[in-house]
Amino acid sequence: MLLAEHAADRMILEEPYYEVLGNEREVFTAAYRNQLPVLLKGPTGCGKTRFVHHMAWYLKRPLVTVACHDDLTAADLIGRYLVRGGQTEWLDGPLAQAVRMGAICYLDEVVEARKDTSVVIHPLCDDRRLLPIDKLGELLQVPPEFCLVVSYNPGYQSVLKDLKQSTRQRFVALEFDYPQPDLERRIVETEGHVGPEMAARLVKFGAHTRNLKGAGLEEGASTRLLVNAAKLIGSGVAPGVACASAVAHALTDDAELLQTVHELASAVF
Amino acid sequence: MPASVAVGRVNLSHPQRGQGLSPAQIQQDLSLIAEAARASQPRLPAVLAAIAELDQASQEFIHHWAETLALSQQALAAHFLAQVPDALAVLEQPAIEGWLLKALDTFDQRGLAAALQVIQDLPACIAAQAVARTGCTLDQVAGFLRHFIRALGGRPLAIVSDPLTYTDTEKIYLPALLTTLPDQVGNARLLKCMAVYLWAQNRFGTWRYGTAGQAITQLDALGWQVFQRLESVRIIARIARELPGLAREMDSVAFVDAAARHAWASFSAAAHTLENPRAGVQDSLALVDACRALVLPPPRQFQGEMLPQKVAEVVARRVPREKEALRQALANLTPDAVEKDPDNPDDAPPEVAAEGEAGNRFSLAQTAPDAAGEPQYELRYDGQKLALTAELEALLLSILQDLGELSDEHLAPSGAAGTDPRNEQGSPGAGGLGDAPSGPGEVFFYPEWDYQRQHFRPAFCALTEQLVPEGDDAFVARTRQKYRGLAKSIQRVFEAILTESQRQRRQPHGDELDLDALIEAHVDLLRGHEMSDRLYTHFRKAERSVAVMFMVDMSGSTKGWINDAERESLILLCGALETLGDTYAIYGFSGRTNRRCEVYRVKTFSEPFSLAVERRISGISAKSYTRMGVAIRHLGKLLAQTPARTRLLITLSDGKPEDYGSYRGRYGIEDTRHALLEIKRDGIHPFCITIDREAQDYLPHMYGLANFTVVDEVMKLPWKVADIYRRLTT
Repeated sequence: MLLAEHAADRMILEEPYYEVLGNEREVFTAAYRNQLPVLLKGPTGCGKTRFVHHMAWYLKRPLVTVACHDDLTAADLIGRYLVRGGQTEWLDGPLAQAVRMGAICYLDEVVEARKDTSVVIHPLCDDRRLLPIDKLGELLQVPPEFCLVVSYNPGYQSVLKDLKQSTRQRFVALEFDYPQPDLERRIVETEGHVGPEMAARLVKFGAHTRNLKGAGLEEGASTRLLVNAAKLIGSGVAPGVACASAVAHALTDDAELLQTVHELASAVF
Repeated sequence: MPASVAVGRVNLSHPQRGQGLSPAQIQQDLSLIAEAARASQPRLPAVLAAIAELDQASQEFIHHWAETLALSQQALAAHFLAQVPDALAVLEQPAIEGWLLKALDTFDQRGLAAALQVIQDLPACIAAQAVARTGCTLDQVAGFLRHFIRALGGRPLAIVSDPLTYTDTEKIYLPALLTTLPDQVGNARLLKCMAVYLWAQNRFGTWRYGTAGQAITQLDALGWQVFQRLESVRIIARIARELPGLAREMDSVAFVDAAARHAWASFSAAAHTLENPRAGVQDSLALVDACRALVLPPPRQFQGEMLPQKVAEVVARRVPREKEALRQALANLTPDAVEKDPDNPDDAPPEVAAEGEAGNRFSLAQTAPDAAGEPQYELRYDGQKLALTAELEALLLSILQDLGELSDEHLAPSGAAGTDPRNEQGSPGAGGLGDAPSGPGEVFFYPEWDYQRQHFRPAFCALTEQLVPEGDDAFVARTRQKYRGLAKSIQRVFEAILTESQRQRRQPHGDELDLDALIEAHVDLLRGHEMSDRLYTHFRKAERSVAVMFMVDMSGSTKGWINDAERESLILLCGALETLGDTYAIYGFSGRTNRRCEVYRVKTFSEPFSLAVERRISGISAKSYTRMGVAIRHLGKLLAQTPARTRLLITLSDGKPEDYGSYRGRYGIEDTRHALLEIKRDGIHPFCITIDREAQDYLPHMYGLANFTVVDEVMKLPWKVADIYRRLTT
């Protein structure tokens, strides 16, 4: 029972910390119950991946995550023949595995993948719910528990890598953004193990860096970066140093902008 | 390398690189230069004798700069010589260089008289030198301050230098040089605190439009003094709450001495109600009368001035303009932005508000405050939240900063939707030198590299973009006919690029098994050999992401068959590039002097290939000179804006850079080389195709060893260009 073991490995047993932003949990659950695929949009580090983990736990399904890159092909998702000891042997790719075990399959940053992946994504995402495995001559009928989730960041992909209408119009879309200040403070506090006062200052610092988006910075500090800074502070690193290492240098290499972010950090503490 | 070089009317000894000049030669050269301007400089013989006393390095330094100045104007050199012994006594060489560069820049921009004044004003230079060690110029920190103020939030504020320190609610005016504190770091900090304080005036409502503005102008002299200090108490308290680290820093530079600090402490105590976070400018006004009797502390060092008149002018212009812009934006928003949000097709249908009468359906609602404690607003239509563009959000923020709320008039969409956005006035201060793609007539300014000075001449070249007039169709047809065999073979070669190396065999990983490799491996295995693990084929789609800019020499020397060859090459190449699907643009360049540099648009990156483009290629004609550096800077900038992974700038040329005036020989080559280095930093690969047989002498220096090709026969150019392009991009 290899498959069952695999599935058990991929179950999320402890509740991942997640603050609900709005109605995303209900929408996701409804989409799941109706066997609709889900598209998560939003800037980096705002909690998309955490949300998928949370939903996998919430719906009690195994989770298969694939970080897409520009060399990821359909074969990487479906599977391929391997040669072992003079014999060929079929190995399921992550997507085929997920379909077989009725898991939630999460394709992170899906626009990064090769265009030929749409060949597999499309039949999977409409009412056919099929995964064709040409090389095995198999046509997997997708079980009702399976759910495909993809994410992308509309902010900084190049125009060449936009998500095609024919793909995006198959999904139920959920938009994510950095949480409201109050909520973000609570997240930084809980995840970063710092006091409410420190968390509030970090969130304010984050908001200031986000003002620089498009005016020098490609992105402002994400919630993830703020949590990282909080963790450093929680371990005894001085706030200024923590913000420099966890945020400023992670955001930019430009000397002037680095100075700006440094000074912003010392301004709010 | 010649043994002597002509500078103006005199011939100077010109050493080989690395070899020094003998003191006698230096003396001879300097007296030649001096001679030319002796009438105006009677002191020169004595000065030359003094120079002869100096050490060899100083003499060579003087010689170099005298020569450089004489290249621009001999009188400059003569005046420099008259001053130089005094200057060397008090200044370091870099400081002298700065002084001379300033003179040369002044000469370029404002002519000889102004430049001579700079040279003669050595005491001012010395004073500036002393200040430079302790003072902080705005230039040093302006870049940082712009980012910093932007990050703090609110309406974007430009940073501008001005003798007075104040804000007019759109700009922050700061002194060009600050020497208040004894060291540079302190002065830099003080500049930052000034900027922050003025930002805070804007952000925390000192200049909020309305009744308070009127009342301020009616204060008497004493009342005005009191009011400024009360506002200062209120604003500092707000900063301390929002940005405690910054407030501490500001506190450290606020007071001249302990007495001032003490005076402020007692004044602040009397006005402590202003430290309440809800206190506004009205509360400061209300306290004025109660505080008239108090001892007024001296202004904080970063406080600057408050100039309500200037603010009123700016606000009076901005408020109606922004109101119109908002109504315009709302009008554009009305038809579709609300009815279908493409990203949330599953959103619930809008809950139509009961009061949705025929009138105003837009409304503004206050939501939870943001991280800075400022109230947040959202714009609603029929009670449903609207997704705003960044521009609209900034506009709303700016209006709210002025008015604190939106009137019904603001929320009434204006006239017909879809009015021409060009009617809207652009925001002042936006857009620096040559930001946007130009329409005809727009002038771009670019610096030029002067190797003698080892510095840029700032904004030295003025460049305009023009459209090439369309030429005749006959040329295009003739070319196609003439090269029909070649065109086909170019086409085939380029098609091959598209399909080549798509399936890679014998890979360690891949999509499918490579049967040949597998059979071999199996045979190996049976024979007891080790089996290869490279058994897969990998389908690698050659995703081309190439943008190429063709920069065509349109100088006078191309007239005739070179021009024909250039045009033919381009016509053939366009067909091939269309096959490949690469992004490409074609521009010609020429010009006469630095004030009249021109690039000619044949095809932009976004324009599709068309008959019009073909006719424009045919319309490429020989113009005047070859000022290359500025064209490279301009076209490089356009190229850098394309998102392609590989970016190529290919120059088709017939000779070295040359222009009317000083842009010839080494000067032109060095400027071109510098421009190429600049665009390389932006990730652009420059390449030059030339028909100048002497190009071997200078092209390696300009482009680097592997980045050019000399085509020895003009007739071969069309074939060569396509072939070179294929090699470059595969």
